[in-house]
Amino acid sequence: MTPAGENLHAANPLSDSVFAAKVCLPFICNAQNADGGWGYQPGFESRVEPTCWAILALRALQSSALSIEISAPGLQFLRNAQLANGSWSASAEVSSGCWVTALACWVLIADVQARATVAAGVKWICNDWPRDGSLWRRWRGRLFSHHKITKQNDSYRGWGWTPQTSSWVEPTSFALILLAISPIKSLPKAAARRRELARRMLYDRMCPGGGWNCGNPMVYGVAGEPLIAPTVWALLALRDEPDRPEFIMSLDWLEKNIGNARGAGSLALARIGMEVGGRKWPEAGPAIADSYGRNEFLQNIPVAAWASLASCKRHDWLTRGNQEFC
Amino acid sequence: MRRPDIALLPSFQRAASRVVIRRTANYQQDLAAVIYETLRVFDLPVKGKTVLLKPNLVGFDPLCEMNTHPYVIAATRESFLRVGAAEVLIGDGPAMDRDTEAVLESVQLREFTGPLGRTFVDLNLDDVKRVVLSTHASRLRELYLPKTALGVDFLVSMPKLKTHHWAGVTLSLKNMFGIVPGSCYGWPKNVLHWAGIDNSILDINAASRPDFAIVDGIVGMEGNGPIQGSPKPCGVLVLGDDPVAVDATCCRVMGLRPEKVKYLNAAGTLLGHLDAAKIQQLGETVESVRTSFAVLDAFKELREPEGGVWN
Repeated sequence: MTPAGENLHAANPLSDSVFAAKVCLPFICNAQNADGGWGYQPGFESRVEPTCWAILALRALQSSALSIEISAPGLQFLRNAQLANGSWSASAEVSSGCWVTALACWVLIADVQARATVAAGVKWICNDWPRDGSLWRRWRGRLFSHHKITKQNDSYRGWGWTPQTSSWVEPTSFALILLAISPIKSLPKAAARRRELARRMLYDRMCPGGGWNCGNPMVYGVAGEPLIAPTVWALLALRDEPDRPEFIMSLDWLEKNIGNARGAGSLALARIGMEVGGRKWPEAGPAIADSYGRNEFLQNIPVAAWASLASCKRHDWLTRGNQEFC
Repeated sequence: MRRPDIALLPSFQRAASRVVIRRTANYQQDLAAVIYETLRVFDLPVKGKTVLLKPNLVGFDPLCEMNTHPYVIAATRESFLRVGAAEVLIGDGPAMDRDTEAVLESVQLREFTGPLGRTFVDLNLDDVKRVVLSTHASRLRELYLPKTALGVDFLVSMPKLKTHHWAGVTLSLKNMFGIVPGSCYGWPKNVLHWAGIDNSILDINAASRPDFAIVDGIVGMEGNGPIQGSPKPCGVLVLGDDPVAVDATCCRVMGLRPEKVKYLNAAGTLLGHLDAAKIQQLGETVESVRTSFAVLDAFKELREPEGGVWN
């Protein structure tokens, strides 16, 4: 990765935008594969998730012409990677769709060439019901409630990481973000109900003191510890209700705990969450740069992309604001 | 490249396994010397080879209560280099937190091993390869596993000695859940829970059986493990060339009956030796280091009955 981390920041602290432009974006651009996509690290096979984050970061920060030049093959990679049923798989090796479908649709929604592609993806998402909240399982759960080890309302259903499994906070948040930015007219009938159930599921799965972990707020009567990444994704998914006590409590948790955050990914996401929630965290930029100086993002493309996105003055990338891009 | 054909063998066709228990009171001891001397006992085929150490890095853990201690990881790495390994990688795919860097920073792994860039492999994000499961213990027919874990010459499972709220215990076999990539299966790897934890453990280990196991039992975890349990000082490292035998020995050290741990009992038929008679015990005896670990009520049948006989 260039330029070398540790000394760079120590000798000459960089402003946020310069750090993104001089460190994050060259790293991302140099890691693009010949097929237009990105792997999780430079030299790795192209995958849907890192390609999505790389494109979002490029769109948000690069000058338009250069962004289009680099991103266009990435968008093409995404279009080509869609499976026949409308979903996207985690890797070209994998034959079934999963959680990355929401990310692919999110990125492609601004691409006029991909309207049918996105519509098929959104339809797949709306038809992908997790198995944990099915009537059969809820009935069984009620019958054997004394065996229940978690405390949650299983009638609220979001999305799982993989089809036919349980609802979890992060894939549910990604799907909600996508549905929020999709034109209402383009959404399948089931979308409104799915959104409502998923929002309730997120509120229900919040940890007792605010914040979210993967989706286990209480196991065997012990409160789960929130984590930064799921907390931020849930906050972003629920950001249109900033006055709800759960939102405020979770933002408070984030603010209180950012000082303990480690890892550039958590730091970058924490900054995004704070800013979208209307709070300031002036130390964020130096903290992310310091973290880069230690481990160079562990060569992780999504983390470099989040660090870029965290440096944006406005978080248009969360909305359809970059529609004009294509 | 490791040989998958030796993963599955009926117990009667396997030679006796060797397990060494080393008494190690705390993490300040010269662990590298202890581990190096023990590795020499086994004369492992690692000269000039690539070794992958797979510690148990479950999540953000500044007090290092649930993760394999970085001292043990660093000492093992140093020891494998000393016995001739050409390269020793460290890799894991944390199950609950996708910020692997945060997990590593929380236990300060870098301070013990040096820069992680060329040493650490995030198995959650590695390129994957389809592996058809031949054992069909679970409902899974295939898994996509990290190319690094499948491609190294020698794989070492390095769990922490812990009880587990769903599986009873989590040791070197359960630790292999960490090679299943989050990028494909999520955080947590929920598809394995739906397929049945016990049976998934068998399928994963049949597909990628560790060649060696080193269990950090210097301070373990009891009760509601693997994350929310209580630290339990036990003062041992347990090492061996058969992960089933190592796990069985660890259970006996914890005051638990390995044949009552569902997945371990099944693993004893095809993946290694469960029966103490088939395990050549070296170093300390089980009795001399036995430390009773508390378990959740759901697993009280694992406990040795008062005055019971050990298998």
